[in-house]
Amino acid sequence: MVDVENLEFKWGKKRGVGGKKRDVRFYESFTYDGEEYRLYDCVYFFKDDEPLPYIGKIIKIWENPDKTKKVKVVWFFQPHEITCYLAAEEALENELVLATGEGLGLTNINPLEAIAGKCNVVCISKDSRNRQPSIEERQLADYVFYQTFDVGQRTISDKIDEKIAGIEAKYFFNREGFLKPSADQKSGGAGKEDTIGKQIPEQPDGDMKVSLSVIHDKVAPVVQEVGSEIAGTDKKDSLSGLKSSSKIDSDVREGNKAKIDDSVKVPDEAKKINVQNFSRHDSDSNAAKALEPNVKASEDKSKLAKDSHGKVKSFLKELKTDDKLTKLGNGKLPKESSVQPPKDYKKSKKHALQSMGKLDFDRSKWFKELPWEERMKNAHEEGTLVLLQNLDPAYNSADVQDIVRQVFKETCTAKMFQRTAFSNPYYGQAFVIFKTREVAQMVVTRLDKGCLLLPNGRPLVASIANPSFPKKQSTFSGHLTLDKLKLQTQREMKEAVSTSHCSQPNTLEFDMAMEWCLLQERAECSWKKLFELQEKEYRKVKAELKSK
Amino acid sequence: MEYAEFEEKVKRTLYVDDLSPNVTEAVLRSALDQFGTVKSVQFIPNYLGPSNLPQRALVEMAEPKEAKAIISVLTQFPFMVAGMPRPVRARAAKMEMFDDRPKRPGREIQYCWLKPSDPDFQVAKRLKHLVQKHSAESALMLKQQLLKEEELAKQQAQSLKANYKKYEMVDSIVADGRVSKLAKYYNQMFDRRFVFPG
Repeated sequence: MVDVENLEFKWGKKRGVGGKKRDVRFYESFTYDGEEYRLYDCVYFFKDDEPLPYIGKIIKIWENPDKTKKVKVVWFFQPHEITCYLAAEEALENELVLATGEGLGLTNINPLEAIAGKCNVVCISKDSRNRQPSIEERQLADYVFYQTFDVGQRTISDKIDEKIAGIEAKYFFNREGFLKPSADQKSGGAGKEDTIGKQIPEQPDGDMKVSLSVIHDKVAPVVQEVGSEIAGTDKKDSLSGLKSSSKIDSDVREGNKAKIDDSVKVPDEAKKINVQNFSRHDSDSNAAKALEPNVKASEDKSKLAKDSHGKVKSFLKELKTDDKLTKLGNGKLPKESSVQPPKDYKKSKKHALQSMGKLDFDRSKWFKELPWEERMKNAHEEGTLVLLQNLDPAYNSADVQDIVRQVFKETCTAKMFQRTAFSNPYYGQAFVIFKTREVAQMVVTRLDKGCLLLPNGRPLVASIANPSFPKKQSTFSGHLTLDKLKLQTQREMKEAVSTSHCSQPNTLEFDMAMEWCLLQERAECSWKKLFELQEKEYRKVKAELKSK
Repeated sequence: MEYAEFEEKVKRTLYVDDLSPNVTEAVLRSALDQFGTVKSVQFIPNYLGPSNLPQRALVEMAEPKEAKAIISVLTQFPFMVAGMPRPVRARAAKMEMFDDRPKRPGREIQYCWLKPSDPDFQVAKRLKHLVQKHSAESALMLKQQLLKEEELAKQQAQSLKANYKKYEMVDSIVADGRVSKLAKYYNQMFDRRFVFPG
C-alpha cells in the first residue's frame, strides 16, 4: 500500500559514472522525502524488531542500471552492541563508536529507501585534525563519538585511522559547514520552550506540510505550533495538544490554507505516540493512506527518543505530500475523530519497510559476546586473567567489577566462582579479566605488595590465574562397565532413557553403592572439619586487626 | 524484588554432584523428572580443580518440596545416573553456588589500603598467607579424596571381575551338563533358578 513513488525523490549533483558498461551513476546528493542528503551525512536506518536505530555515514551514493538506488555506509555502533569490548557504563550517554579496520561490520550497501532520516553525529575526538565542536554544536548533537572499534581486531581505540573504508579521516571529523544548523537540528537543541520550526523554509502553496517532531523530554507533552498561521494563536492553545490539533483541523477546513506545520512533543514516559493529528484525515482514505507510512516512520523515531537516556532529542520529519493531499483541502472535510495508532501498526510498518527498502542483515549477530570459557582461555593466553581470593562469598560478579573499578580505576570482567562441595564457604573467589597484561600485572603486584582491606577483615589476594580447562573424559572412576554391556549403555545415554535408578538391596550393585556412600559421607565429614578449622584459624588472626 | 525471587529459586534448587562426565542435561533431566518437574539444569564449571573431578550441577525444580523430596530419596537410597555403582549425591543448593546471583540489596563495599606502618598491615599480610595456605590445603584434600575414590573404584572393579568370572564359570558348567551330572551323582535336585534367579 505504500508507494515509494509517493515520496518525493530527486537526485542531486552527479559525480560520475562507473560499472562495466559505465551505466552506474554516482551522485553527491539526493533529496528524499523532503530532506536533502549529501555524501558523508549520517543517517538512521531501522530494522524490523530492533528497537534501536542503526546509524551510518553515507560514503557512496549511486543508481544501478536497473534503477535501484543504493547507499554505502560506514557504521557507527551503539555501545550496547559491543559490550564485550566496551563497558556500557563507561560510554557517554549518547556515544557512538565508529567502525574501522577490515571485516564484517565495517560497511554495508543498503537500499537508499531504507534511510529513515538524518542524524547529527559530532566528533569529539581530541585529535588535532578534528575541528573541535562548539558547545552549541555539542548540544545539538544527537550522538557524539571519539572512539573507533576495529571490526577485524575487535579492539577499541581513540585513534582515528588515516582512512576508514577507503575514506579519508577528514570526512569523519567535524568539517566546516558540516553542522550547518538546519531546522531539525535547531529544534533539537532549542528543546523546551522555543518555537519549533520557524526556520522551516516556506513550502510551495498547495503542499501540505506536516512536521512531526518527537522530542524526548521530561517536560509534559507540549504541543507547539509551527508555521505562520498557528504561530499566531495564543499561548493557551499552544500548550494543549488537542486544541492545537483542532486548530489545524479548522485550518484545513478553511481549505485554501493547506500548509500545516505541527510538531508534537512526546515525553519519554509516553509509550504511545500521539499521532492523532494524522489520523484525523481518515475520512479521506487516500490521504490517510498516503500519510500512514510517514506516521510509521515518525513512530520509529520516537523509539529512538525513548532510548536516548534523557537527552533531548529531536526529529523533525517533514512530510511532503503531493497532489493527493491537496485534494483534501478541496472541500472534503476531514472528520474529527481521534484514532489511535492502528493495531496492525507493526504489520503496516513492516509493509512500509519492505516497499521502502529493507536491511537484509542482522547486525546484532556481528559482535556477539564469546562464551565465558572462551574469553577466559583467551585471557589466560594473553596473561590478563587474574584470580582474586578472600572475597566475601556473598559478593556477586558485579560487586567484584565495582571493587576493581573503584580501587584501580580499571574496567574488567569478573566472575565469582560458583561454590561447590569442595570449596570453603568462607572464602569467595573470582576470575577477573583485564584489558591488558600490564594492567593485570599491576593489579597483582599492588595487591601483593600492599594490603587492600575489604570489609569484614578481608585483605584481597590476587594472583595470575592458572585455570585448567575441563577436557572431555570418557571414563569415570566408580562407574564399572562390562564390555558386553557397553554398547547398550551408550545407546541409552544417547537417548537419555532409563539411565537412572535407585539401587535395590541384596544386589551386588547395592553393596558396592554402599561403599561409595560411606566414602562420600567420610569425605563430607572431613571437608566440614577442614573448613571449620580453616575458618577458626582465620578468625583468630583476624581478631588481631585493630580496624574492623 | 529481584533478590526475593532469587531466594525462592535457591529454595527449589538442588546441588547434585558425583556426576559422570557423560551426564548431559538431557540425562539429568530424565533422571530427575520422575520426582517432579525439572525447570532448569546448570552444570557448574570446574576451572581450578583437577580435570578428573566429577561433574556437578544445579537442578532447579518447579517446587521447593520437589527439591526436598529428591534430596531425601537420594540420601536414603543410592541413586545411579548413567552408570553404577557410584551413586550421585544431592544437597540443598546454596546462594553462592549460583552464577547469576543478583546484588544483595543495601550492600555497600568499602575498602582501604593499609599503610605499611599500620599495625594492621602485618596482620593483613598474615591473613593473606592464611588464605593461600588454606586454598593449598583444600587442593591437597581434594587430591587425596580423588585418590581414595580411584582406589575404591579399582577395588570394586576387581571384585566385579571376580564375581563375573564366578558367574561365567557357573554358567559354563551348567551349560555343558556337568552340574546335572554331579547332581545325579549326589542324588540332589538341581534347579537353574538357584543359580540364575529371575
